[in-house]
Amino acid sequence: MAPAQRCPLCRQTFFCGRGHVYSRKHQRQLKEALERLLPQVEAARKAIRAAQVERYVPEHERCCWCVCCGCEVREHLSHGNLTVLYGGLLEHLASPEHKKATNKFWWENKAEVQMKEKFLVTPQDYVRFKKSMVKGLDSYEEKEDEVIKEMAAQIREVEQSRQEVVRSVLEPQAVPDPEEGSSAPRSWKGMNSQVASSSQQPSNLDLPAAPELDWMEIGPSLTFIGHQDIPGVGNIHSGATPPWMIQDEYIGGNQEIGPSYEEFLKEKEKQKLKKLPPDRVGANFDHSSRTSAGWLPSFGRVWNNGRRWQSRHQFKTEAAAMKQSHTEKS
Amino acid sequence: MSFLLPKLTSKKEVDQAIKSTAEKVLVLRFGRDEDPVCLQLDDILSKTSSDLSKMAAIYLVDVDQTPVYTQYFDISYIPSTIFFFNGQHMKVDYGSPDHTKFVGSFKTKQDFLDLIEVIYRGAMRGKLIVQSPIDPKNIPKYDLLYQDI
Repeated sequence: MAPAQRCPLCRQTFFCGRGHVYSRKHQRQLKEALERLLPQVEAARKAIRAAQVERYVPEHERCCWCVCCGCEVREHLSHGNLTVLYGGLLEHLASPEHKKATNKFWWENKAEVQMKEKFLVTPQDYVRFKKSMVKGLDSYEEKEDEVIKEMAAQIREVEQSRQEVVRSVLEPQAVPDPEEGSSAPRSWKGMNSQVASSSQQPSNLDLPAAPELDWMEIGPSLTFIGHQDIPGVGNIHSGATPPWMIQDEYIGGNQEIGPSYEEFLKEKEKQKLKKLPPDRVGANFDHSSRTSAGWLPSFGRVWNNGRRWQSRHQFKTEAAAMKQSHTEKS
Repeated sequence: MSFLLPKLTSKKEVDQAIKSTAEKVLVLRFGRDEDPVCLQLDDILSKTSSDLSKMAAIYLVDVDQTPVYTQYFDISYIPSTIFFFNGQHMKVDYGSPDHTKFVGSFKTKQDFLDLIEVIYRGAMRGKLIVQSPIDPKNIPKYDLLYQDI
């Protein structure tokens, strides 16, 4: 028996010496591991030609496990708030240590030789990638600039319309015509959402007067129930005690909250009852029901024909019959 | 011995006992206190009543004082012991002709204890009739008379 060796790919100890590497299980593990790594490498390869630059997102912190070197590699390169997709992985794949490790890995685990080339990146490829990365960075900057310009244009538009509204409302404010009075605040309300964020200095001056008129005239009529204003007693706005907190006049005995001792014991009994099997005999028997003087319990009689619950009925008829014969005799 | 066990003297009291015993086997001994076999039975009942306090409630009923039940339960031999659980009558197959009651006295205390346990377990499972664990040799023999003969 060979000495115990640990295979990191299968994550197992084996005693077969050099034979383990040729076993089916090991080859399967090897295939799976390479299959896991391959898609990442392919995606990285595509990125060589067209490097993508994106805004930084925490997801770009993800690391990839390189089987050959047995180490974790940062997938994407990030600097500041920009990320180059697959930058880290490519850098690792092009490095000489990775090349050495990959060779070693292939030789030791007896993997297919053709596959090896796919997992390596030549230095020329890496140089190409760097060039495309620079291009990508430039285009990203351009895009960002465009977006900023668009946003600035939008803000300018909004500012313009706001100024116009202010001017139009200030002019007819002296003669509040209902129609004009209503149309201006209506459009003012429409602008309100955009205007709300910016400061309100000149707009607050005279506007409250016009909308108030609007609210008092339009709308369904409500029933008026009177001013709820009693001078002596406070209300919610003045911070008085709420009615439900005021102690009642009649306190009566003790003011304990919660069940009394007997109720507590009854609750305990009920808990015990719940634990009993639900299909026991007489589970739904009402123990506290009031019965008449002529009540008879459920009894399966000796000399009766029919079901058990009919025996009571039979007894009553027999008793009546016997009584009748008795009174006949006497 | 019979003064150690509670007695029921009227139909109303018997009704009360049947209705109020909850989740325990109700044992009603129908007989007369002076009868010798009844005395034997009462002895066994009183000696075991404390051990069975959580499973069973035992009462003595005089047959002369409750004629309604004497007829309803068809008691022709005394002592007769009838078992209830939660207001429902429990039948037991002793190997004797009458399953509705136990006629006579038990041979040993252990017989009675076993019988009560079997009835309790059967009732908890929802069975209205159970098999008696007592050896048929120890069951008193009697002839069941048809009522009109």
